[in-house]
Amino acid sequence: MTEPARLLSVAPSPAFWVAVAAYSVATVLLFVVLAGKASLRPTAIAFVVLAMIAHGTDIGWRGVEHVHPAESVREALGFLAFIVTGGYVLASTRYRLTLGGVVVMPVALVLLLLARLTPAGDRPEDLSTLGRIHISLATLGVGIFALASALSAIYLVEDRALKRKKFEGAAFKDRGAPLESLDRLAHRLVWVGFPIFTVALALGAVWTARLGEDLGRIEYLLAGVTWLVFAVLLVARQIYGWRGKRAAKLTLEGFAAALAVLAIYLVRRIVG
Amino acid sequence: MSELFVVGISWRTAKVAVREKLAFREDELADTLHALTGELPVTEALLISTCNRVEIYGVGKAGSDVPTVVRQWLAQRRSVKLADVGEALYERRGPAAIRHVFSVASSLDSLVVGEAQILGQLKDSYAFAGTAGTSGPVLSRAIERAFGVAKRVRTETAIARGAANVSSVAVELAGRVFGDLAGKSVLVVGAGKMSSLAARHLYSNGAQRIVVTNRSPEKAEALAEEIEATARPWAELEQLLAAADVVISSTGAREPVLTKAMFKKVAKARRYRPIMVIDIAVPRDAEPQIQDIDGVYLFDIDDLDKVVAANLAERQKAAEHAGKIVEHEATQFEHWMRSQGVVPTIRALREKFAAIGDAEVAKALDQLVRKELTRDQQRELIQRVVQLVINKLLHQPMAVLRGSAPGDAAERASVLAELFALEISDQADGELAEAVPGDEGTERKAQA
Repeated sequence: MTEPARLLSVAPSPAFWVAVAAYSVATVLLFVVLAGKASLRPTAIAFVVLAMIAHGTDIGWRGVEHVHPAESVREALGFLAFIVTGGYVLASTRYRLTLGGVVVMPVALVLLLLARLTPAGDRPEDLSTLGRIHISLATLGVGIFALASALSAIYLVEDRALKRKKFEGAAFKDRGAPLESLDRLAHRLVWVGFPIFTVALALGAVWTARLGEDLGRIEYLLAGVTWLVFAVLLVARQIYGWRGKRAAKLTLEGFAAALAVLAIYLVRRIVG
Repeated sequence: MSELFVVGISWRTAKVAVREKLAFREDELADTLHALTGELPVTEALLISTCNRVEIYGVGKAGSDVPTVVRQWLAQRRSVKLADVGEALYERRGPAAIRHVFSVASSLDSLVVGEAQILGQLKDSYAFAGTAGTSGPVLSRAIERAFGVAKRVRTETAIARGAANVSSVAVELAGRVFGDLAGKSVLVVGAGKMSSLAARHLYSNGAQRIVVTNRSPEKAEALAEEIEATARPWAELEQLLAAADVVISSTGAREPVLTKAMFKKVAKARRYRPIMVIDIAVPRDAEPQIQDIDGVYLFDIDDLDKVVAANLAERQKAAEHAGKIVEHEATQFEHWMRSQGVVPTIRALREKFAAIGDAEVAKALDQLVRKELTRDQQRELIQRVVQLVINKLLHQPMAVLRGSAPGDAAERASVLAELFALEISDQADGELAEAVPGDEGTERKAQA
């Protein structure tokens, strides 16, 4: 058996560096495509796919080295970036999402770098199966919310371009996914992510209670706020028909709260 | 050798008042094509007559002045003085004609760059020439290649991207909001011509149904009947707006008929589903403030013009790349045309050489059958046959070379050297007479 502390500081695999390079190239290419060089789109998407494969390989390689993707928030960030990239690739098979790509790719790159290159810290004590399930589900839920947020962000940019008649702008010229599809897809993702996040939150509360920790800590409160925002979004849509710009803004606000939770976890881990 | 040419007039060179004088009706095309190939030294002909151009594509003898004859003939045929249309008529020959037809097919020469209509019109004209029996190998090859070039240009460039007229812009903008128009409902407010055109365009692009409403029910009924829509009373406007996805408005009202207060209620009734309003009326039918309501996308006639302008600017950019494709393809086609010019010569040369070879081989085989030859005699026979074939092949060119005037001889000798990749030294001059038989006596000697 290897020592847990060492396990957490497993050096990044060669696949990690390939993923970093591919994410960087994909980001630059997507910006170039958005600037008008549409012929580079297939190359850009090829690099996105390469980044996803390399990223997946890196996660698999760490698994072989006994580092679970839900071992810690640090590891979970890498897994979250992978889910976001995978979702983006899936959505790209149906819609032109260059605009989304220039947001998703750098975000995935930053998350991956945070997950692999920040100090590992100590292994959390009493990381039980319950804890691992909680982290896995929370990561999955936040990953799905991240995708919904990316689509909502594209919605807001495209909506603004149409409302302000910016026909010369990149958002209009790129001929991305239609507004109605973006709104519908984001809504479906929230529907899928919300129950997963709810279960994760409940398990987290039980786990925290077992550890005897105070449930009033800021990250727990923010997680509750995240859940509340998405709950309001779903209810308001169902009852009052909230959609479009209002729904997109609410989705982004919910995701911002989720990101704040992750950031607090990460900072705590780094600074101890 | 035959040469492709084009004689024509287009929007670039003449106004419609001049173009219409040379235009042909469809029922005149067959007679005109037959007259072209029957009365003039034109072996193949195609005629295209559209609102923006009248062009005759033909094949005539290279170096001859067929295009000039065709100009005169065209003016005479349309009963106009050549002086009246002469300046507007253009002609292109050979490579320039090829570049022209490639540009026309690729819509680079169109009034609206990238519009697809011209390609369809060229295809129709080509089919017509085929039916009339006036298209031939050169024209067919050029026109079919032009179709290929047009396809390449449309695939590899953005020349056809983006709507270039108001009706198409309505479809494009609806696509930005809804994506697929299937299942969407269009409401036409007012009975204007433009709105009915736009509605019909949306319908042909997948919209499920069109509803027309107008202050005058008779006009609404008439328009509904014309565009296969449903007419509804003006009093139901608010309910109709709540049920519509795209609204096209062009009433003659002096005051806005689509107000913000009305749309606030409509948006709520629609549960904030997106609705697109295209206001092509002047004065405008919709209050600009309805744009502030979530999910309401309002475009007036200026906005539509802006989209057209932006799209056309993009197309112009793409036209530069398309021009390079046309240039490359035209160069390739010229090479092919040139190679086609030497094919009959190559074929005749092969046949002549084969006939000489076959005749000598037949004689040698005959000797082999009739006489019992030793191995040495057989070897000698083969050498003689080879020598004879060489002599016969070289006899004619050498005779011409020797009989040429000094200037011509040098030029012909240089061509021969190039054709046979000869390395010529000074010594070779003296040896030529011995090596190459120049008269029948030498040939007879070889046969003996």
